[in-house]
Amino acid sequence: MLGAGAMTNSIPEIRDAEVLFVIGSNTTEAHPIIAMEMKRAVRNGAQLIVADPRAIWLSDIATIYMQLKPGTDVWLLNALAHVLINEGLTDNDFILNHTENFEAVVEAVRDYTPESAEEVTGVAADLIRKAARLYASRRKAGIYYTLGITEHTHGTDNVYGLANLVLMTGHLGLPSAGLNPLRGQNNVQGANDAGASPLYYPGYQRVEDEGVREKFEEAWGASLSPENGINLNVMMAEMAEGNLKGMYVMGEDIVLSEPNASKIERGLNQCEFLVVQDIFENETLRYADVILPAACFAEKDGVFTNSDRRVQRVRKAVDPPGQARADWEVLGDVARAAGYGMPHYTHPREIYAEMAALSPKFSGISHERIEAEGGLQWPCPDANHPGTQYLHQEGPLIGKAQFQAISYRPSAELPSDDYPLVLSTGRTLYHYNTATQTRCDAGPMAHQPECFVQVHKRDARKRDLRHGDLVVVVSRRGRVECRVHVTDKVRPGCVWMPFHFAESPTNKLTNDAGDSVTGTGEYKVCAVRLEKTDRTEETRSV
Amino acid sequence: MEKSPMTDKFDITLNGIRLQCESGETILDVAKRDGTYIPTLCHDPRLDPAGACRSCLVEIDGQRRLQPACAFKVTPDLNIHSESARVRKHRKILMSLYMADHGAPLETEHNGDQLTRMARDCGPLLALNPVEAPRAARPAEDNPYFTFDPSLCILCARCTRYCDEVEAVNAITLSERGASTTIATAGQRTLMDTSCELCGGCVDTCPTGALMEKKPAKLNQVNPRKVRTTCNYCGVGCQMDLNVVDDKVIKVSSPEPGTTLNDGNLCVKGRFAYDFIHHQDRLTSPMIRGTDGQLHEATWAEAIETAARGLLDVKERHGADSLGFISSSRCTGEENYMMQKLARAAFGTNNCHQCAAT
Repeated sequence: MLGAGAMTNSIPEIRDAEVLFVIGSNTTEAHPIIAMEMKRAVRNGAQLIVADPRAIWLSDIATIYMQLKPGTDVWLLNALAHVLINEGLTDNDFILNHTENFEAVVEAVRDYTPESAEEVTGVAADLIRKAARLYASRRKAGIYYTLGITEHTHGTDNVYGLANLVLMTGHLGLPSAGLNPLRGQNNVQGANDAGASPLYYPGYQRVEDEGVREKFEEAWGASLSPENGINLNVMMAEMAEGNLKGMYVMGEDIVLSEPNASKIERGLNQCEFLVVQDIFENETLRYADVILPAACFAEKDGVFTNSDRRVQRVRKAVDPPGQARADWEVLGDVARAAGYGMPHYTHPREIYAEMAALSPKFSGISHERIEAEGGLQWPCPDANHPGTQYLHQEGPLIGKAQFQAISYRPSAELPSDDYPLVLSTGRTLYHYNTATQTRCDAGPMAHQPECFVQVHKRDARKRDLRHGDLVVVVSRRGRVECRVHVTDKVRPGCVWMPFHFAESPTNKLTNDAGDSVTGTGEYKVCAVRLEKTDRTEETRSV
Repeated sequence: MEKSPMTDKFDITLNGIRLQCESGETILDVAKRDGTYIPTLCHDPRLDPAGACRSCLVEIDGQRRLQPACAFKVTPDLNIHSESARVRKHRKILMSLYMADHGAPLETEHNGDQLTRMARDCGPLLALNPVEAPRAARPAEDNPYFTFDPSLCILCARCTRYCDEVEAVNAITLSERGASTTIATAGQRTLMDTSCELCGGCVDTCPTGALMEKKPAKLNQVNPRKVRTTCNYCGVGCQMDLNVVDDKVIKVSSPEPGTTLNDGNLCVKGRFAYDFIHHQDRLTSPMIRGTDGQLHEATWAEAIETAARGLLDVKERHGADSLGFISSSRCTGEENYMMQKLARAAFGTNNCHQCAAT
C-alpha cells in the first residue's frame, strides 16, 4: 500500500517519539528491547496509546488504553478515522499531494461513529475520540503493531485501516513516525527479502512479471514457472486434501506452530514424501522420510534482516554438533543431486552477492560493507548509498499512496452456546515459539514450566475454577489440557494461551481460516469452552 | 530529545587543549568525543548522571570544589584539568576507600571488573582498614542466572538505576541506611518473586563483580574469544557477543552502550537462553526412513540422494506444483535465498513460503 513491507522507521528513533500508538503488540514480552526504547520515550514525555484485548505491561503506563474485543480492530480503526475526518484533524496538504482515493475512505467510515464503535468494540466512545485527537496532535507519532493485527481473517484490512490513519494525518516520511510492523522472528524480514514467497522473487520482484522472470531465468540458467505459487496456509490445506504430495520443510515445526494441528497431522500422513531439515527433534519429524541435521545460528555465517530493514551479520562461533551442517550447504547439495547446476559456493558472502546483484533494493549491500560499516538498512541501491533510516522521505515510495476503504467483517468463528469463549494465542517473554530452544534453559522453565490459559475471574467463578486447576480447553478442532490462570488482564468472555508447549499443543484449537490476501491463519480469534477435568496431578499424562 | 536548533557552540579548554562543544553537553561528553579518558564508576551513558561516586571529579579554574565530569554542564571558556596533582590525589584516596569497602585484593578481578582495574591505575593505594559494612544479602536466592555478593558491592547504584530507568521494572532498589545500605528487593524476596524479568542488565552494568552470572562460573573463562553476531530470537536484531572457550559458547555479553541498535541491552532470551546450542537433543546425524518404517542413521551422501530422488519422484508422477517448500524465518537470508532457488530453479515451482508468513 505504501510500497514496502517493512517498518517505515527505525528502532533507535523510538526514543525521540512524541506519540506511540501500540496496537496488537505485547511489546515488552515479544520485543523486549524495542519496549525499552518505548519506555525511554515515555520517560522523556511521549504519550502512549495502547489498544489490546489483554491488559499488558505497556497499558499500565499508557495515557490511553483501549481494551477492545478481539477481532473488532477494523471497527475501532474506522472509528478513529471517523473522528479525524469529522474533527478536521487530517493533513489535507499531504492527502492532496501524496495520496489517492481519500474520498472512498471518507465515505466508508461515515457510519463508524465512536458510539457505534463502543457497542461493537467495547471501547468507550470518548476514549476513541481522545485517542484520535492525541494521535493527530503530534508529528512524531508512530504506529507499532505485530501479530495481534495480522493474525486474523481480516488481517490485511487491519493493516489498511492503520495505513489510512498514517496517510490522513501525514505521519509519514518523518523521523519517529510512520507505520511499523515489529517482526516476530529474527529473520522474517530477511526471508521475505530473499524471496521465500510464492509471489515474489528476491527483492520483492513479482513472479508474474515476465521481464523479472526472464532476468532470473538468465541468471540461474533454468526455465522458471510463470505461475504464482501457493502460500503456506494453502499448502497446508492442499496437503490435507491430498494434492500436495511432497514437502521440504526447513526450520519449522509445522505441527506445533501452524493452526489446526490435527488437520496438519492428517495431511502429513497422506504426504508421500517429506524432508525435514532442523536443529532439534520436533513433532513434524515423526512424519519425515529424510531428516537432515542443521547448524544453528552460532555455527554458521550469513545475515539476518531485522524489523527495521537492517541487514546484520551472523557469525560462526563454534562448530556444529556431530555431522550437522549449515542449511545453505545442504540446500546446495540437494539442488545438485536433483540435477540442477547450483554453483559450489564456498561462503554465504558469495550467495549474498548473487542475490544483491539481482535485487535493486539491496544491490549496494554486501558482507564486505557490513564488516566495515556495521548493519545496513535497505533500500540501499548502490555501493556508495548509506542505507535508509526511514522510508518515504520524499513522499511515498510508490508515488501516490492509495487509501483503502475497508468495512468490518466479524471473525471467521464467533462464540456460540457450545463454545462461548473467545481464545487468542500468543508468545510470552520467557519462551520462544515452539520452545525447542528456550526449554533447554533454567530461567524460562522456572518462570513458566507448562502451558496455561488465562481466564477472567468472573468467567472462572461462573465455572467454579480456581487458579492452578487443570482444565480442558475445547474448540471445534481439538482439545488441550492446561492449567488455569485466573486474572483480570483478559476481558470477560475471552481467554488467552501461549503456544510454546508440545504436550499442550494450543494449535490443535486454533482456526486455520486464512486472510484472503496473505493466507495468515486466524490465531487470534477462535471459539472455545472450558471443561473441568477430574484428573489430578498424579494421573495427569505428560 | 531532539536537539534545539538554537544550540550554542563554544570552546572550552581541557588539559590545555581548546575543544569545541555545545551547550547542554557535560564535561564527560566532550572528553569522550576528544578521546580524553576520565575514569567513571557510577556512570552509564544509558542512565541519568548521578554524580554519586566522585571518581570522575575534575578541577575547574575558579571553582573551589572539584566537580563531577559526568554531571557538570559545560559553559563557555571553562578551563578544566582532569589530570592535575589535586585530581590525582583525590582519585588515589577515593580508590583506596572504595577498595577498602570492596574488600577483595587488587590481584583479584571479578569478571574483569572495572573498579579493580581503575584502582590499579592509581598506583600504590593507601593502607586502610577494611570497611565494616553489614550489608544484607538476599536469603536463598533461587534465580538461575545471577548471584549478588554484598561484600563486593560499593553501592554505586548502577544496577538499581538501570532497573528503574532502562528496564523500568524496579525489581531492585537501595534499601536500609548508612553502612547497612544494600541492594535489595521489596521485603528481600527472591528475584523470581518480584517484577524482575531476568534481563541481566544489572549484572552487565555492575562495575565491581558484586553481581555475577552463575552459568559461566562453571567453566574456565579466562579470555574467552568474543564473536559478534545477531540474536536469533525476535525481530529486533540485537547485536551480541558469543563468548567462546574450547569450541563452546559459555556466555553471551552485550556490546558497549551506544555502539549498536540495542544500546548495550539484551533480554532474558538473548542474554541467557543459549544452552540449546550445545544441548544433547540436537540432531547430529542424517536419517532415512527404511522399508521397516523406522528412521535409520545414514551418510550425508545417502540422505541427500534420497531427498532429491524422493522429491523428483513426486514431481515426475504429479507435477512440480505438487511439491511444497517451507523456508524458515529462523535461517539466514542466504539460506532463504537458497531454498527459493532450489524450489524454483531445481524443481520448477513457486510453491515456496517462509514459515512466518506475516
